[in-house]
This record gives sequence, C-alpha cells and structure tokens, in this order.
Amino acid sequence: MLSDREVLSTLEMLKNEHLDVRTVTLGISLLDCASHELDRFKNQIHRKITLLAKELVRVCDEVGDKYGIPVVNKRISVSPIAVAGAVFSSAQMIEVARTLDEAAKEVGVDFIGGFTALVEKGFAKGDLSLIEALPEALSVTERVCASINVASTRAGINMNAVRLMGQTIKTAAEYTAEADGLACAKLCVFSNIPQDIPFMAGAYLGIGEPDAVINVGVSGPGVVKKAIERARESRPGLDLGQISEIIKRTAFKVTRVGELIGREVAQRLSVPFGVADLSLAPTPHVGDSVGEIFQSLGLASIGVPGSTAVLALLNDAVKKGGAFASSFVGGLSGAFIPVSEDLNISEAARRGLLSLEKLEALTSVCSVGLDMVALPGDIAPETIAAIIADEMAIGVINRKTTATRLIPVPGKKAGERAHFGGLLGSATIIPVRDEESSRDFIRLGGRIPAPTQSLIN
Amino acid sequence: MRKVVISVLGTDRPGIVAAVSRILGENHCNIENATQTILQTEFAAIFIARMPKDLETDDLLSRLRRGLKSLGLHAFLKSMETLPDFPSPPESEPFVITTTGPDRQGLISGITEIMARFRANITNLKALYRKNTDSTERTTVIIYEVDVPVQIDHQAFRQALRDRADDLGLDLSIQHRDIFEAIHRV
Repeated sequence: MLSDREVLSTLEMLKNEHLDVRTVTLGISLLDCASHELDRFKNQIHRKITLLAKELVRVCDEVGDKYGIPVVNKRISVSPIAVAGAVFSSAQMIEVARTLDEAAKEVGVDFIGGFTALVEKGFAKGDLSLIEALPEALSVTERVCASINVASTRAGINMNAVRLMGQTIKTAAEYTAEADGLACAKLCVFSNIPQDIPFMAGAYLGIGEPDAVINVGVSGPGVVKKAIERARESRPGLDLGQISEIIKRTAFKVTRVGELIGREVAQRLSVPFGVADLSLAPTPHVGDSVGEIFQSLGLASIGVPGSTAVLALLNDAVKKGGAFASSFVGGLSGAFIPVSEDLNISEAARRGLLSLEKLEALTSVCSVGLDMVALPGDIAPETIAAIIADEMAIGVINRKTTATRLIPVPGKKAGERAHFGGLLGSATIIPVRDEESSRDFIRLGGRIPAPTQSLIN
Repeated sequence: MRKVVISVLGTDRPGIVAAVSRILGENHCNIENATQTILQTEFAAIFIARMPKDLETDDLLSRLRRGLKSLGLHAFLKSMETLPDFPSPPESEPFVITTTGPDRQGLISGITEIMARFRANITNLKALYRKNTDSTERTTVIIYEVDVPVQIDHQAFRQALRDRADDLGLDLSIQHRDIFEAIHRV
C-alpha cells in the first residue's frame, strides 16, 4: 500500500509546484528522404513526418491523463536539414522549411527542430545554403527552429561561421522587425552541440540515432524551488551540502516521472525510447522560474555576486539526481537561464542586476548559454558575432556545450522592452558596449585552433 | 482444511495482538494472514487462521470473546468460504484516486458509487481529516487505491468521477499507481 505521504507529496508536486513533463519530442530521421529533386524531397519528408507523428499529440495527451501529469509540449526533431538536403540552394531550403512548418501544423506540434547545420570545421554546400536561407526561412514559418554548430573542443571555432551568424541574426531580426525580431528566438548558435538534442530551439535528431525515437524533456524549476523552501523552513540550519542533496532528490523524482511517461509514449507509438533530458527549463509563469531558486537560496536576485556559485551547485545537483534516475540521460541536462522566458531572470535584467557580462559568466556553469537575450537593434553584426565568439570560447575551452540565442530588437534601444509572445516571453533589452569595437577582430576570420587537452588550467 | 476469518475491534492499547494470537495458539489455530490498523483511538484487526479438525467455530469464538473481554475488545468470526464459481476478476490496472475538500457526509458513498458502477474494485482506502489552519472547517483527504478494469471506457469513468466530485465540492485526481512508485521507490 502507498503511504499517505507518498500520495500527498506527489499531488503537492503536481498541483502547486508545476510538475509536468515539459516536452515529448519525436525524433524523425529524414536521411532516407534525400533526393536531388526538390518536390520529391518535400513530398517524402512531409509524408514521413505526418505518418510517424500523426498520433503523437493524442498519445501524449492520453498518457498524460493516465498518470495525471500533463505533457505540456509535443514536438518533432528531424535530421539536420543541411545534411538531408545538402544538394539544395538557399531558395530551395526556404521551401523545405515551409514543408516542415506545414507538416508540424498538420500533426499539431508547436515546434519542429532540425533546420540545422554543423559547420565547426568548415562549410559544405548544403550548410551555406541553409545558413543563407535562415532569415527568410525563420520569418515565413511559424514553428521551424534552427541551430548551427560553429565550434567544438576538437575542431576549434570556425570564425567565418561566427561572423556569418552575426550577420544572419541581424538580418533575421530585420525580417521580423514588426515582431521584435522573433525569427532570432528560433535560432541557436552552438559550440559542442550534443549528438542529439530534444530541446528547442536547438533540437535536432543526431546522425547516429534510430529512424524514429522518442525523447523526453523533463523540467521543474517550481518543484526544486518549493523543495528548497520547504526544507529550509522546517530545518533552518541546512547548509549548502544538505540543500544540494535536496535538489538531487527532487531532480531524481522529476526525471523518473519523465522517463515513465516517455517510455509509455514510445511504446504506444512503437518507437524506441531515447533519452530523458533533465533540464530545469523555466516558463514565463510565476512559480516556474529558475531565477526564483536563487532567491530561495538567499540571494537578492540572480545576477548579484554569488549567482555563479549557486548556478554551479544547482546544475550539478540536477545532473546527479537525474543520472541516478535514468540510465539514458542526454541532450542538454542541467539548468537553463533563458532571459525572456523566465519572469525572474527577465526582471533581474530589467533592474540592471544582470548584465551581459554576468550572464556570460553564468553560462560557464549553466546548461547552455546566452539564451533569449534581447540586444539593441542598432548593434553591429560584428558585435553580435563577437558575443557569439566569446560564448563559443567558453564552451570550447571548458569542453561543454554553450550556445547563444541573441535577438537584436529592430528599432529598440537598451532599457526598452521586447515581446516575443507565448512561452518565449518578454525581456528588457540589455546594453552592450558596442561602438563597433570588435569589427576588426571579427573580420580576421579563419578558425581558432582546437585547444590542447592536456596542460589544463 | 477449515479456515476462519476473525476480526477484532476495540479501543487501542498495548497487548491486543499478543492476546489474540495467544488464544489462537492455545487452540492450535495457525495464523496465515493478519492485518491491523488504528483509526483515531480505535483498533481493528483481521486474522485468517487455519483450525484443527476437532475444534468447532462456535467454541473458538466463545473462547476468544471470553479471553478478550477484560481488554474491552469485540471479536467476530466467520468461516472462510471457498467459492469455486466465483468469477476471476477482470484484467485491470491499479489507479490512485484522491479527493480533497471540506468535510461533510456522503463523500465516500458518493465517489464509491461511481467506482462500483464501473466495476472498479477498491483495494485500499484511507480517509484523513485535517483541520484547516485558517478556519474551523475540516478538510478531508480520501485516498482510494482502485483496480480499474482495462475494458471500461476510461474517459467516461474519469468524467463521471469528476462530475460527482464537483457536485460534492471536492478536488479529485486520478493517477496510475506507477507514478507514485516511480517517484518514491527506487
């Protein structure tokens, strides 16, 4: 028999602490759809996606109902389009993006990721076509997400790609100027991109993956925050070692929920189960914020001194708890700090407590990087590239994944507010020391060599 | 081989299980299953025991009552029946249904009536009363562990339960039991 405490604490996690399964992502390989003919390629990817994903939303809802735990987002990731559609021109790539968007709408998923190119060591034809297509592809589609890997610890940093992405982001923002540069909210630039990511906006299905696979992204900043608060209230003398233990246990519970639900969805769809991605990913709702966890640990706000240490503790404890809960953990596990998507982090940026420089420092210990950061609209493309280069360097040297999702908001200045809508939230534009100060450096181009893996300090 | 079901009720105190098992032992009865619970100050237990051939159930009951009288306990006994024609239970899945809301009469009968209608079998039931900190009203939390037949219309079952819970002013949740196991048990 279950104990009262087991039942009641589960209900509490569910009702008051926003316990949910954040995302079930169906990964679909499109490599077998490859063709030289655009129409044939489009037809084949549309057919494969709609066939495999037609039951995804219904099954997720049914399984969520059965366990009383909602699956909030249902998404699709596909093979990197720059690989699957390597023969196409940029105009044709835009057509491919439209097809992906239509297929996503047809099966009722909110995002489809995989408009992706991996260019850390150099460009192939398809990579350049895809990057060139990005501004238009992301502005004429609603649900397509893109990611570009420009650096890795083994390859170094492709500074030509970094420079190109600075310009691409700027153009993509201008294409969606009326929506505060929304296209850029669907575009991530990575270093050390994992082999497979089920989390948007960077999601894609890796090359070593099965034909179709179910990955699950669990979340729960609200659950972690409440667990810390409850523990500190009942035992005021708790130290950080003990608090880390509490976070670990909470991450364990959340991950177990995700894996249970992910496995059942996979089984019902007759698709193998891939990984659970145990990330603390916030939403723009009160009580579902990573930033609030910093306050529950005694900091006035995320961004003040001490924040990097707290984030390091948080990230590590989440990984440890999750790693024990599931043998198949992957993706981008850890804590995300997307500025606009987290009410509390967005507020810290508005109050000036969280500068671009502090955000960059935080990214050396967080899950990904400079995420959903709104920048002034008149920022130079080279400055965007330089911010990307800094973030890539952190990832490359520290052998971790880092990424940027930067949004230069057309026509707006630092201190003004940008609105992206829905889960993407809104953010105050952060000031950048610009004055084209990075232009000459970025224009040097080339590749920053891969770092030595010995002589570490 | 004869088996009997013995239930014992009374105000809780130390020594009840010892007294019952001593009497059964003295009468060469072997306890095969036992369960006990305490609700507020009241004790309740059920024992299944195997009896020797030469012992009559009436004799055992009167010896139990005599022996337990001084402890203020009430004992009841019935022969355990074997029903060869009893249909095997339908294939089912274990769910946990919880209701929370202000205390009033008819909460359990209201909810269990729906369960019975859908042939869902209650395997465990616990009602907990908690006084609200900000009022004199009491909140009742009732936890039902229920085997729900696989073949029924689950949507209709859920809807019927939710509608009834609404009528009774209760919050209701239905979750597969596995979720509790996954979260709390390694």
